[in-house]
Amino acid sequence: MAAVRRAEVTWKGSLMEGSGSVDAVGSGAFGPLDVTWAARSEESSGGKTSPEELIAAAHAACFSMALSHALAQAGNPAEELKTSAEVTFVPGTGITEIDLKVRGRVPGLDEDGFREAAETAKANCPVSKALAGVPEITLDASLG
Amino acid sequence: MPRIERNATVTWEGNVARGAGQITAGTGSFGGIPYSLPSRIGAGDEAKTSPEELLAAAHAGCYAMGLASELTKRGAPPQLLEVRCRVTMDEVEGKGHQIVHSTIDASARADGIDAAAFAEAAEVADEECPFSALIKASAGVTVNAKLEGGT
Repeated sequence: MAAVRRAEVTWKGSLMEGSGSVDAVGSGAFGPLDVTWAARSEESSGGKTSPEELIAAAHAACFSMALSHALAQAGNPAEELKTSAEVTFVPGTGITEIDLKVRGRVPGLDEDGFREAAETAKANCPVSKALAGVPEITLDASLG
Repeated sequence: MPRIERNATVTWEGNVARGAGQITAGTGSFGGIPYSLPSRIGAGDEAKTSPEELLAAAHAGCYAMGLASELTKRGAPPQLLEVRCRVTMDEVEGKGHQIVHSTIDASARADGIDAAAFAEAAEVADEECPFSALIKASAGVTVNAKLEGGT
């Protein structure tokens, strides 16, 4: 069965001087969130989100689920996984790199087994597949 | 050009079917947003998010900024843009779950632009949105844009 997910954004004014808001998402889980071009394209975000930060959140969330699933299927369910995703955006060029980092508490599994499961999750999670065109996606996985 | 880095952190506890996760933005814009397997592939109405909902927010945000830029270049900075995005994930035979489509519905209020120039701006905004360009390799992208006002 297909799963459809929705979001709504409003924007007022030009790109440089205007501002916008992620008003609502279908689930109601978050929003409204302010967005501006300055917050997206300058080093300091001023506490505002951006499309790239939302992509980082989506990728970290997708990867964590896929890894949890792979570990459980192999008979070593994780107690806890902590994942971060960092998306690098170069204005005018696009998204050039995503760095995934995961630390896991997985009873009965060694480092090699964990890294292997993490590589599989990175390759197979739906967000990874959708973003396969990103020039570089790195993974740093270890127990602890 | 500057390299802009944005990050988010997820904590997941338990297995996929009964476990749950929390998502926090590096900027502090949002934090502790819950998600789970039912909120991802179920009806999705329990105040929990999913990766695909976050991508819908990213795509809508990305397209809105692109359209604001293209309209401004054509002398018609928008008074208001309303952009909705729907991201569809489906099970594809032999490939498992995949993001198969993203649909943008945009409505713009802007003066000083005609329908043809608006249509061109709407198309260029899609071509220049980095997220849209990436997912087109494996998913369909549809953009429906309409102009209110104009010349």
